[in-house]
Amino acid sequence: MIVMVEEIQDMPVNPVEHDKYIPEEFNAVGRRGIRRLDGYEKASGKAVYTRDVQLPGMVYARMLMSPYAHARIKSMDTGKAEAMPGFRYVLKYDDPEVKKWKALHAEESDVFDLLPDTAYFEGQPLGAVVVAETEEMATEALKLIAVEWEERPFVLDQEEALKPGAPLARPDLNPDDNRHGLYDLWYFNQHYGPNPWPIVFKEGDVEEGFKEADKVIEFKARKQYHTWAGVEPISCVARWLEDNLEIWVHHQCPYTSKEELAEKLGIPMGKIKMYCLYQGAMFGGWTWQSWGYAPHILTALVARRVERPVKLVLNARESHFYGGDIDHAVHHLKVGAKNDGTITAVQIKGVFANAPPGWIPYNGIVHFHENTRVHNLFLENRGAFVNVGPTAAYRCEQTPNALCITLVFNYVADALGLDPTDVALKNDGSHGKDMTYLSEFKRDHGFPIRDSLKECIEAGKKAMDWEQKWHKPGTKRLPNGKYHGMAFCWSHEWTDTSGVGVAGVRIERDGSVAVLSLHSDIGVSAVTAYAQIVADELGVRYEDITFRPFYDVTFFLAVPGASKNLTANGYVVRKAAKKAKRRLLELATKTGEYATHIYKPLFEGMKWDDLDVRDNMVYVKADPSRKVPVKEVVEVGRYGFGATHGPVYGWAWHTQGIYLGEAALRHPLCRQAHFMEVEVDPETGEVEITKVVNVNDVGKAINPEACEGQQYGGTYMGAGRNKFEEVIWDPQTGVKLNADLLNYKVPTILDCGPIETILVETGMGWGPYGSVGIAEDVATMVDGLMGPAVYNAIGKRIDDYPITPDKVLQALGKGSE
Amino acid sequence: MSEREAGVAVAEAPIELVVNGETYRLRVQSNWSLQHVLHNELGLTGAKDFCDRGVCGSCAVIMEGRPILSCMTLAIECDGKAIETVEGIAKANHPLIEAYVKHHCMQCGYCTPGFVVTAKALLAKNPDPGEEEVKEALAGNLCRCGTYPQHVKAVLEAANNLRRG
Repeated sequence: MIVMVEEIQDMPVNPVEHDKYIPEEFNAVGRRGIRRLDGYEKASGKAVYTRDVQLPGMVYARMLMSPYAHARIKSMDTGKAEAMPGFRYVLKYDDPEVKKWKALHAEESDVFDLLPDTAYFEGQPLGAVVVAETEEMATEALKLIAVEWEERPFVLDQEEALKPGAPLARPDLNPDDNRHGLYDLWYFNQHYGPNPWPIVFKEGDVEEGFKEADKVIEFKARKQYHTWAGVEPISCVARWLEDNLEIWVHHQCPYTSKEELAEKLGIPMGKIKMYCLYQGAMFGGWTWQSWGYAPHILTALVARRVERPVKLVLNARESHFYGGDIDHAVHHLKVGAKNDGTITAVQIKGVFANAPPGWIPYNGIVHFHENTRVHNLFLENRGAFVNVGPTAAYRCEQTPNALCITLVFNYVADALGLDPTDVALKNDGSHGKDMTYLSEFKRDHGFPIRDSLKECIEAGKKAMDWEQKWHKPGTKRLPNGKYHGMAFCWSHEWTDTSGVGVAGVRIERDGSVAVLSLHSDIGVSAVTAYAQIVADELGVRYEDITFRPFYDVTFFLAVPGASKNLTANGYVVRKAAKKAKRRLLELATKTGEYATHIYKPLFEGMKWDDLDVRDNMVYVKADPSRKVPVKEVVEVGRYGFGATHGPVYGWAWHTQGIYLGEAALRHPLCRQAHFMEVEVDPETGEVEITKVVNVNDVGKAINPEACEGQQYGGTYMGAGRNKFEEVIWDPQTGVKLNADLLNYKVPTILDCGPIETILVETGMGWGPYGSVGIAEDVATMVDGLMGPAVYNAIGKRIDDYPITPDKVLQALGKGSE
Repeated sequence: MSEREAGVAVAEAPIELVVNGETYRLRVQSNWSLQHVLHNELGLTGAKDFCDRGVCGSCAVIMEGRPILSCMTLAIECDGKAIETVEGIAKANHPLIEAYVKHHCMQCGYCTPGFVVTAKALLAKNPDPGEEEVKEALAGNLCRCGTYPQHVKAVLEAANNLRRG
């Protein structure tokens, strides 16, 4: 429908705006069996990552790492390192150029200097960047640096840290105590005013809600520190050509890194050529660390000093164990419910370790706010500085919310003797409003009126054989002697359309099509989905579309790596395709002029909107038998070196959206439900996840296999977080004891039983074609599900994640004190 | 040279490797891993470094028919050995490659070559593996994106295609 062109490209910035121009039929969009564009490169080993880059004359840089949990460099002697053959340069913490820069990216997380002289956790890079001819030589040179350290007292536990007299974890940011979030942050000043402590979120009146309740339940839950451990260790390569910088980065937000580099190096962005190749997965992790840009700046600095290409290499320990997820927290929960399952009040008091202050105001309560009808809510969160490394959002910032909603619904159902799926349906809603209100909302705003949660639960229960298998806690022992347990959790699909994006669509002179956009791939198969969208919008075959990555980072995309590829950037490529299509149709109706030739219009006497495109043919809408291949339209007038027209090119941008739930009327409408089955061995305490069912209402699945990939992958990641992912520190020294992949376990193929994936498509997402993002969801939701499943198996609560065999044995009364 | 004083191992030796059917004569340092030689010296970047200690399988290559961890193998000990990397498997148009693409066995793709190599070695030894045998064979390869269930489908399909020729 050509009429959509103008409307969709001019979609107003409006909190309740969404895609109202959904085509009646699809071709490439939603089709199974689409060959993913990055598939061959990745399967054949030909895909190149920053870690693989080598340049002629390249030298290597390595960073010093703190051996202490909290220590300051009193003095440093690099004499021996400098005398080493192969040594090329050392950049030190007292260098005037690095000393200029204190905080990086401070709105997101803890503040670290560009090249700090003080370490606030063991394993923190600091003090010196050494450059040598080979990686081995750089590593050796590091060992030859003599450092005089001032060791300082440290604290590892967030609740201990807030007790009077606790050692000061970050005296640079808070010289009085370990309260986190008191320092001057633009984010806080903007949203909460200066120095909020503790941070309170309030809706309704929880005390009234507890009075209305038939049962009031109180419990405590805890998540230990786990980390992203995302495959490709961090590296950066930089090369200067006079005052032009070429730089290869491993970072999900390369455009913002370019901005940061330009500022810190004092050069214009136009002189930076930044390449973001394929990227080993990081799930947000490193990207959101406040220090995440520092390797780029430091590499560029030393490359400028040595006048050689430099590759900075962090090893697996330095990369994967720099920081952890923001759900390293303790939550004290209190819930009121009526006998019929209606929840009357939820109160959560949390203590977060090193959490990015920007997220603390939400974490714990948000999912009750955004997707339940519960209107009495109270959150009181405290952030504490501890010496365990920063935390950041890694798949994803909703983990504390997911854990709290999972546990609350299971506690309530259990206390009332109800099926948890019934309790979920009883409380479904949004922003304190019930489903009747939401049905009216859907009707008023042009959404399909469907009950997403009900559909998800019905599909999931059937796949799990829930009705047959569900039982009271601790009541089912299997013939193999193990206890059988089941659990269910639910929430909304939250990834929305917020953010900015830019992309272009170009039709080449032979009719093939290229999508031009920022390349920042961490694996969600975004470029394939872009090509599917462009195929449908332009009316050409998917196979004729290629992705032309802008490796030189120029097209800004807000979160190009993962979370919002489709919900924000899907709009962008769609709009660009529509603009290119209009340009194509205008060309088909215009006279082509060249110095020596005049070409008659291919569709004489027609206007562009008399035409449409389908199956690579431009045709007359009133008479589809009149048609011309796209190829002939774009090549009209090809004459030697000449042309009668400029390229057929459309580019578009997107500024729509707001983070879901931030606007009172932007109710999340799509739901997800997950079911898990476990067997618990009472002799060993081992928990085996024997089956998982994921049901996700993605609104519209643009690429179903990619969605299923997110379900599988999220479930495995969730399995690891449930079962064993945990960084362990020596309490005496504050040194990490398992900061490598031999001792920090991540899931293997054997760590989860069969996973059944179900996609529901209600069209009620706020993204293009009624879609909503899925990539964050499953890992985040599944990672608390094993607790209720183990409870259902053994009848004992273990609310301290990960649920390791020793905790299970303890709960069964078999552990030693 | 005083590299020895600096603690950098410097002994070098000539070796000959047959990689994907092509012979290479190289001088390698005694501390170089096979992964370093393949990745940095020969430009065969499919053998990735992830865990740097023989846990993840991302650096897997086939040596004399067996899948090995190239990051845990000293190049100097591989003199005269025949090695097959993911690049060789792809060049030979092994059906695993297309099955991997079809079944979305990759997300970020960093670990994918290691899986392909391990699966190729499995199918060479066992042309008709069951689902559990595939899982067992791939249990030493870590995929942080969790693409595991898709690998099982792809390997079984590739095995089927191979058997049918």
